[in-house]
Parts: sequence; structure tokens; C-alpha cells
Amino acid sequence: MIKHHPNTELLSGHVNGQLPASLSAAIAMHNELCPQCARTVNNMTEEQAELSFEQSPGEATNDIDFNAIDIEQMIAAITSDESIELLAEDVPMTVTVKGQDYKIPRAIQHMPMGKWNSFGKITRARMDLNEGDIHTSLLQIAPGGSVPEHTHKGFELTLLLQGSFKDEMGTYVAGDFIMLDGEHQHTPETTDGCLCFTVADGAQHFTQGINKLLNPIGSLIY
Amino acid sequence: MQVTEQQRTENPLKTLPIHHKRITNKSMNDEINHKELADWLTAVGQDRDKQAFTNLFKFFSPKILRISSSKFNTQAIANEIVQETMTNVWRKAHLYSADKGAPTTWVYTVMRNVSFDLLRKIQSKKEDTLSDDIWPTLDVADEEETEFADHIENQKVLALLDSLPEKQQQVIKGFYFMEMSQEQLAQHLNLPLGTVKSRLRLALNKLKQHVDLQLGDNHD
Repeated sequence: MIKHHPNTELLSGHVNGQLPASLSAAIAMHNELCPQCARTVNNMTEEQAELSFEQSPGEATNDIDFNAIDIEQMIAAITSDESIELLAEDVPMTVTVKGQDYKIPRAIQHMPMGKWNSFGKITRARMDLNEGDIHTSLLQIAPGGSVPEHTHKGFELTLLLQGSFKDEMGTYVAGDFIMLDGEHQHTPETTDGCLCFTVADGAQHFTQGINKLLNPIGSLIY
Repeated sequence: MQVTEQQRTENPLKTLPIHHKRITNKSMNDEINHKELADWLTAVGQDRDKQAFTNLFKFFSPKILRISSSKFNTQAIANEIVQETMTNVWRKAHLYSADKGAPTTWVYTVMRNVSFDLLRKIQSKKEDTLSDDIWPTLDVADEEETEFADHIENQKVLALLDSLPEKQQQVIKGFYFMEMSQEQLAQHLNLPLGTVKSRLRLALNKLKQHVDLQLGDNHD
């Protein structure tokens, strides 16, 4: 059973479209496996929509000039296009890492992904999202593998997509959304192997040198 | 394109507003005429009704402009979001189903996705459109055109049908077992076509939750 969920603040940011794509994708993938959070997000979206559209436009519009938009012209331009948006088919996508097949959830199917690189039992592909200090990866750990102890200055999110792993704090299953801050340390290890989606806020401005010396592998991985 | 360095590097987890305000059904009805909005949206989706679209445009665009202006701080981007959102409303309205939720929620989702992709374009210099993958809620309609292949475990499905609400059973039985068209069903049950379509879709979704069915090819 999934025991680790995104907090309310994150879900709210997701609903508002304010999170980085990496985190929103992680929440979407979690919600695919977690009906409870999916329902919360649906409710929040409904509420947010009401809040957004209930106010009359007369309020708080000091700086906006609606007259700058030629309404009739815009409507005519939009409706002159008779075509409708056809849906892209939801084609299942799999990836094979070290002989193991994994399903790629829809939320990241079109994310640009780099090459797979291996460090011992750990294989990683970076997602090319260009989100500053935030690094996003797919991380596969082969059976019997573990990630060396590491910390981050910012946050570190691990979303378990397939398989299972455990650390000092417990055992995790697919869908678990494990958010750690810089104060926590952990050493994930897996018996049967797993695939994770990881998002880490490097924020390595002043600890980078020391981190690198103490823990070169950790900073390479996430 | 005014995104400051500070905004760009700020930890996104620290600055989010949280909305805990619960809205009762009563206040929803007082503030917004959902029925009317839903009818307009359905008219655009089914009949490409330009007058209905104009009504939607006049209701939503000033609000979208206000929301986007406060979010992005420039009128040019706010205008772009109005234009993009309303274009998507026009082109995707056929995916809206009154049975699936409030019209405001649907338009909000369209607007949020447009803003998300635009924000990404500004902040990360990426032209990708990831929003439709992250929030695939707009395409809940894509099962409506599919049909069970004949050889599929009818027995199993029949047993599950009993778990559906009576109204959904009617359309499922008519469509899949008596092979009536959606139009015939609408006439037979004296229902709008859209209602028949959405009931079918809801029923199918429910059935799919119970049994792992392979869906057949597209069906007209």
C-alpha cells in the first residue's frame, strides 16, 4: 500500500500550475496509482476554478486594459478555424534498462530524456527539463543494489515507479512519493530492483566542494 | 518576459499560496450559472455554435485576462493566454462532458495548462507542451468512440452491468448488445445525444475499472 503522499502545499501548487514540470509530473504519476490524492486534486481543481471565475471582472482590474483586445476580431479569428483537436492516442511506452522492461507513465512520455549511464548497479538517465538547480532523472537500481548515503541542500524527491526498495525508514512500494529535505539522510537499497523518478534541488552553491569530496557518487546520481 | 532571476531560482516549494476555502453548492449556484455555461460549451462542442462561443468568450476572457495579468505581470502575456485558452476551448469543446464536471473546472484546466506551458517556455526556454501529459483530464472522452470486440467475455461484462446505475445500463445494453447507434438510442430514450454519449462513456469507464478489457478499434 502507498504510504507516502505529496503534502497539501504541493498538491495545491500542482492544481495551480505553479510547480516545476518535474514535480507536477511526479504528482501526476503518483495520482495515477493513488485514488485518494487524485480525488483531492480533483476537488481542489474544482474549488480553484470556482474561485477564479466567480469574481466579476470589474474587481481588481486597475492595470488591465480589456479594451486593448478586439473581442469581435479575436472571436472571428478563433471560430474561422473549423478543425477540432484530435486526441493523441495513449500508446503504452516501455523502456528496457539492463534487460529489464519498465512501463513509462504517461506524464513523462514526451519529456526529453538523455542517455542511460551506469554506475555499478545504478543506471540513470537525466530528463532534459532545464529547470535550473532542479535535476530530474529516471533511476534504475539493479537487484541487490543500493544508493550510497547522501544528502542534499534542498529537497530530494523519489517517486517509486516499479519494484520496491527500503531504507532506514521503511519499505516502499510503487507510487510512494518520498520527499526528503536536506536534514535527512538515507541509503536506499533494493532486493529485487526498482525504477524511480527522482527530482533533486541541487542548490549546491556553497556546499558543492565539500559534498563532492565527501560523497562524489551521491552528487552524481541524483 | 519579466521573470526575474530571483523567481527563477527560488525554491518553488516555499512560495505557494494554499487555498483552503471550501465552496458550498449554494454559493456556487449563486455566483455562476453552471447550467448555462455547460449548455454553451456543449453547443460549441456538438454544433460548432459561434453564438454560444461568443457567450463563453464574453464570460471567461475578462476573468482569464485578470488572472493571467496578476500571475505574469504583463499584458502581452495575459493577452496570449486569453487567445490560447479560448482557441483551445473552441477546438476541444467536443471533449467536454457535462456529466464529468463543472464547465468552470474544464475551462480552468484548459487555462492552467496553457499558462503552465507558457511559463515553462519563459522560465526554461523550452517549447515543449508537457501539460497535456501531466493533466490528461481533457481527453476523458476518448473512450466514447471505441467498442468492445465481439469475442470479448460478454458473460463477464453482463455480470458487471448489474453494478451500474440503471440509466447507464440502458445505454450500454442498447449500444453494445442491441447494436443501436447513439443517435437511435437518443431518440429511443428521448435524451439529448450528448447525454447518451456521456452515459456511455461513464459506464465504460466504470466497467473498465472492474475488468481488464481490450478495447477494439475506433468505431463511428
